[in-house]
Amino acid sequence: MLTVHDLSRIANEARVNRFRQFLAVLILIGAPATVAVAQERPAADQILHNWYRMVLELVRHTPTYSPPVASRAFAYLGVIAYEAAAGGADLVSLSGQLNGFEPGPVRETGAAYDEAIIMQAAMAFAVRNFFGNTGPTGQRAMKAMEAQLSQVSAAGVPDAIAARSVEFGEAIGAHVLDWSQDDGGAVVENMGFPFDHALNSRPGAWAPTSLVAQQQAPLLPRWGENRSFAMPTGASCPLPAPPAYSEKAGSDFHAEALEVYETAKTLTPEQATIARFWSDDPMLSPTPPGHWISIAMDILQDRKADAGERADLLARLGVAMADAFIGCWHAKYEFDLIRPVTYIRRVIDPNWQPILITPPFPEYPSGHSTQSGAAAAVLTAHFGEDFAFEDATHVDEGFDPRRFSDFWAAAEEAAMSRLYGGIHFRAAIERGLDQGRCIGAHATALKTVQ
Amino acid sequence: MVFVLSIALFTGVASAHAQAIPSFVEETDASGIDSVFEGEWEFMVGGGVAVFDCSGDGFPDVFLAGGSAPARFYRNASEAGGELRFEKARSGAEFDEVAGAYPLDIDGDGVTDLVLLRVGENVVLRGLGDCRFERANEDWGFEGGDAWSTAFAATWERDAIFPTLAIGNYVDRNEQMFPWGSCTENWLHRPAAGERRFDAPLPLTPSHCALSMLFTDWNRSGTPALRVSNDREYYKGGQEQLWHVRAGEAPALYTPEEGWQRLRIWGMGIASYDLGFDGYPDYFLTSMADNKLQRLVPPEAGEMLPRYDDIAFAKGVTAHRPYTGGEIQPSTAWHAQFEDVNNDGLADLFIAKGNVWEMPDFARKDPNNLLIQKPDGTFGEAGDTAGVASMLTGRGAALVDFNLDGLVDLVVVNRHDRAQIWRNTSEDAGRWVQMKLEQDGPNRDAVGAWIEVRRGDVTMRREATSGGGHVSGQTGWWHFGLGDRDEAEIRVIWPDGAEGDWTRVAADGFYVLARDTEPVAWKPNGR
Repeated sequence: MLTVHDLSRIANEARVNRFRQFLAVLILIGAPATVAVAQERPAADQILHNWYRMVLELVRHTPTYSPPVASRAFAYLGVIAYEAAAGGADLVSLSGQLNGFEPGPVRETGAAYDEAIIMQAAMAFAVRNFFGNTGPTGQRAMKAMEAQLSQVSAAGVPDAIAARSVEFGEAIGAHVLDWSQDDGGAVVENMGFPFDHALNSRPGAWAPTSLVAQQQAPLLPRWGENRSFAMPTGASCPLPAPPAYSEKAGSDFHAEALEVYETAKTLTPEQATIARFWSDDPMLSPTPPGHWISIAMDILQDRKADAGERADLLARLGVAMADAFIGCWHAKYEFDLIRPVTYIRRVIDPNWQPILITPPFPEYPSGHSTQSGAAAAVLTAHFGEDFAFEDATHVDEGFDPRRFSDFWAAAEEAAMSRLYGGIHFRAAIERGLDQGRCIGAHATALKTVQ
Repeated sequence: MVFVLSIALFTGVASAHAQAIPSFVEETDASGIDSVFEGEWEFMVGGGVAVFDCSGDGFPDVFLAGGSAPARFYRNASEAGGELRFEKARSGAEFDEVAGAYPLDIDGDGVTDLVLLRVGENVVLRGLGDCRFERANEDWGFEGGDAWSTAFAATWERDAIFPTLAIGNYVDRNEQMFPWGSCTENWLHRPAAGERRFDAPLPLTPSHCALSMLFTDWNRSGTPALRVSNDREYYKGGQEQLWHVRAGEAPALYTPEEGWQRLRIWGMGIASYDLGFDGYPDYFLTSMADNKLQRLVPPEAGEMLPRYDDIAFAKGVTAHRPYTGGEIQPSTAWHAQFEDVNNDGLADLFIAKGNVWEMPDFARKDPNNLLIQKPDGTFGEAGDTAGVASMLTGRGAALVDFNLDGLVDLVVVNRHDRAQIWRNTSEDAGRWVQMKLEQDGPNRDAVGAWIEVRRGDVTMRREATSGGGHVSGQTGWWHFGLGDRDEAEIRVIWPDGAEGDWTRVAADGFYVLARDTEPVAWKPNGR
């Protein structure tokens, strides 16, 4: 009979082999069938895919990476991947299209480059720099992946080509990193919670919702002032004001709160599942932008998309969601609205408890709604209307995959999940989706194909 | 036994002694202790200390984990009331790859044994007397496994003649690129039926990268449950846990239907104490940034459910960022322990702090906390004024009266730096009483008992546990501050539920509390 230690040993051996399997899959998927030597090397698309797998973990395990901060990293990583792939895929550079992004390094005319090595060097540089603050396990993982992918991507490539390609890939990374430094989001202290934030005392203003000392000030109150990527500024997709604050029964505001309260009381198991599926809590998930990146990655992988297509989509998606958080945060601190938990306990039921933990920042509009709207706009533009797909982002957490008829169906579910979860009113959800649609249009307007 | 949660909380503090400001003097250099918790990634957690008297002189001796370096044992050579002095000695426990250690009289022979939590095979060591130990894995049927062991708790299940050991394991150390979600199985080493040896361990699945475990009778049912604090950095789908561990039954998780509420933190250490004087333990859970202090919510009717309010913010023990040193990033907390350091009759809270490993988003210079309980039940920071605000990278720790002067001293294990030891030199501290439990049978030290001390109209209680903290444990004297009382009434509720008689004892004394006998006063030999 096997003891628990035998089982553990077997499990350990299985895990030790996991990377070998990962490499084998990577090689099979990435290898051009006609080139014998290339069968031992991953192509650029699989290098990109695997770095993004790593990034989805690092986002979760780097404590400063709240959703806005994560979205910023996804944008810059996407741009780096895109610029790395552009030269080999006849794509137009995003320089001159994204705010403040100047033309970067160019390839030597007539010199040979290796696309996989460029992508590897660029992504290794990107992850090393945009996740430099991650913990010791993330550092160890990054180093291990960089070492392994650098080795396999360079196998059989002449030294001069490899060196030139590495230099070019890293130069792209450095160019984008340099651009990123003055966007307003490069330095995040105390996990984004300011030390000297004065709370608004007007009725209906946001008030702290948790007993976490760090969260007595709201998250990243100046994030909306950051330089945006594809849209002109954080104010480019404005929203109408939310319903006027009132504690009177029958008022629009009270009615919105009552809807949240009554919905929570009669929550169906399916609604509870939806709330938790889209909860995407920072430090416990890849965050909301990571959720949409995960969706895109799965589809791209299923379609065996090439590096150019992957980079194009990941750049647009990253840019759209980063802009969504800038625009959303701009509006959040313009309206500085109270959360349902505060209002309902004050006016309706002092003992009310939503099923989700209320995020520590103002309510209107809903960040998940805005960024889901932006993501749906980009994904729909890329894959088309009525593109059905399966979302398996949280399988590791024990959730069954969810199927959607199209990206807007998913975005609408993500948005409504915040009402089911008791953390947003309907206006923040519906107008957040509208705002996301507006912001996403700026990303879809980027010119990439020559 | 019925405990009434509505006992007036302020009853407990109204008669407390005027609070002395605690002060500690670091005596590391002169103490003779020179131990560093070494090692790279596989020792970013861990760094424990075990404190126990193996020489029989009543003075607590010290075993310090060394990580990749061999562990070290130090015999206590302090004078009663004097400066802290230790002598390094060969004990047979100087294993390498030790993350933490807990003392426990496993075989019930009256000699303390040791459980070594290691990166690799865990080892149980039989105490031979005079601070010598020998490997007992084979003799006791203990399968040490091959994991990264980071948590421990022990109990004696009903009528058992050998203990049940819970061992928590961390992430799969063989996973380099994608270790997240690879938490390895925790183990429950139960005794083989009717034998004085362990059966093959049971997996405690799901396992979520435990960094602290504690068998605790949270609802005073008479059967301790297993509380597990898990590190959310590595689990997927995980949370904090509470296990039913009932004799003769498979362990089973408390469920939401039983009242368990999901909590997900970077769980690193558990400390417990009945702070509310309501008969039930409160639990302090260390984490990164905010820490948690949980108090049982009394049900409006029916049976007690494991529902807790987080009262850390209200009580002033979130300890979420450095209070001195100028760093603005959040803190990282490890070992926590409640002890009354100024003997005012109110348990205080020590928290060892230290960056995981060059994480710039968290404080690099992260001072330990010493939170002094005030008469209103809130706590105030005194780590800096008391002199224990070390900026080294703290991990495990123990608050123990090393020189038997009635004042609780402190030892802290530091990663990549020397362990530090402080002598409590508080002036104007209150009076105190310390006691050691003894009973016949297998559970000699009465693990699972409750010690009660009446101080006027206040009844202070603490559970005699084995486990918790951050890979650090201790046996021996249980300490209570008495404020200005010159005597106290004490009694023990033994692990089988038998209630000892209340007995009056004089303050400022040590007492051996053996079952069914009067307390026996004990004094340290002069030396």
